[in-house]
Amino acid sequence: MVLRIRLARFGKRHAPFYNIVVAHARTARNSKPLEVLGTYNPIPQPPRPGDERGRPFKEIKLDSARARYWVGVGAQPSDTAWRLLSMVGILEPKFRVGEVKQQVIKADSAAKSLIPPTQTA
Amino acid sequence: MPPRLHANSVPASIIPCPSVRSQSAQTFRQCREFSQSSCRRETLRRREMYAWLNGPGAALKNPLPGSTNYLGAYDKYGNLWRARPGWTPKKLDEEKEETKEEPKSDEEKDASSEGQEPADELEMSVRRDEERKQKSVAKAEKDDELPPERLEDLRPFPLNKYFRSQSVLSEELREAIYQRVVNEGASVSLASVEFGVSNERVGAVVRLKQLEKQYIAEGKTLAVPYAKAVLEMVPKTPYIDPKLPENKGKRPVQHESINDLIVHPATRQQLFVPVSESREFTRVDAGKAFDNNLLPADERIPHPELVTAERELAAGLSFAERTRLAQQRLQKENERKQKIEAKKQEELKKLRTVPGRRWDFVFQDISVENAGKDGRNDKGVGWRYGLPHEDRKKGQVKIPTKVEA
Repeated sequence: MVLRIRLARFGKRHAPFYNIVVAHARTARNSKPLEVLGTYNPIPQPPRPGDERGRPFKEIKLDSARARYWVGVGAQPSDTAWRLLSMVGILEPKFRVGEVKQQVIKADSAAKSLIPPTQTA
Repeated sequence: MPPRLHANSVPASIIPCPSVRSQSAQTFRQCREFSQSSCRRETLRRREMYAWLNGPGAALKNPLPGSTNYLGAYDKYGNLWRARPGWTPKKLDEEKEETKEEPKSDEEKDASSEGQEPADELEMSVRRDEERKQKSVAKAEKDDELPPERLEDLRPFPLNKYFRSQSVLSEELREAIYQRVVNEGASVSLASVEFGVSNERVGAVVRLKQLEKQYIAEGKTLAVPYAKAVLEMVPKTPYIDPKLPENKGKRPVQHESINDLIVHPATRQQLFVPVSESREFTRVDAGKAFDNNLLPADERIPHPELVTAERELAAGLSFAERTRLAQQRLQKENERKQKIEAKKQEELKKLRTVPGRRWDFVFQDISVENAGKDGRNDKGVGWRYGLPHEDRKKGQVKIPTKVEA
């Protein structure tokens, strides 16, 4: 059976919260997975008090070593999972993440902002 | 309920008391044609009310400047309890006249003093100022200065003699607390001890002052006249600025008792614990008797450090020794705080931020192993499987307990 790295939606109505899971492709969305790799909170959190850049952020918790392992043994990430994994350099970016990042860097350098150069691929 | 009738349309023969009716018709018919109420007599109560409003109650209409305006401060004839017999409130024009007169007399004095002593020595001028102040004080005393309110004068409800209006923090005191905590970096508990204000109130003052300053920075309008009016009507705890020369050696006014033990719900029951005579039963044991997780009272009070300081004083330690111990404690506390702060910063550094167009994606590295063998360990991350969500369970606190600012 095909293994997939995908999101399982938890949380309440209008308050989505996702587990990033490794599961068999044909099992139900919220069924018990093989492993929970992490979580993804898609609701932007207000910027932290000490943050000088003051941008809202989305929290992602991820065990990147395990994610690498599962990708290595042939687990197929879903589109969203691909997008998230490519942000930390586990996969090649497919969904114009790099393009957006370039745009952001351009805009920020134009505004002489303090954003450090990105470490990701 | 019988239908309501206009007094005009009812014939006089129906109304049982013709004399009263005719009187009422004469006095009130013209002014209130629309009124549906049948009884329009000027009742005794109404008369008494107006008598009170124009007599004893008239004093309350214009509050005395710099004083509370409570019913309990006046007797039933409208005289202030705390004022001397024969005292009358100053009228506004009188005050104005006085203020006009005062500068003249000052100038005359200045002129005379300058004529006598041309040399302008600092000390002499200071002395002169003091003398002038004393004179003005004496003058004010002559002019029937009103003594400050006693406890009995702070009763807004005369029938409830046990209720006394509690004083609030004055504007200067609040500003001083804010400056001490935010600008000078004192801890909340230290500020609480210094100003005699409870920990919670210090926290609230700092937060609200912060908001106020933020509002001013944003250019929002504040309800200053309202705040002023309210503050004028309630008793206030004054701020004694230790930097001023006249406050030398004065202690700050205690706003409230700061070291009260908060009643823990576990200690509300009455408990009889048989203890053998030979056993030493301390407060720690008493705390455990109520609840295994309950700290002893000595550690639950807001300021245990005050007790320690008193103990050292009672033990007969010298001032230098006590200072040394206090500094040690302070240093230990600071180290603990720094450690926590460093840990926080380290964790923040571990985060990996990927900038997006509208928001950043913040990645935190975790370990799958934390979830344990069955995947139900508390340290594990994510929504857990096979466990009901407890947000509707009794006793779940959803009110935020802190504000990140």
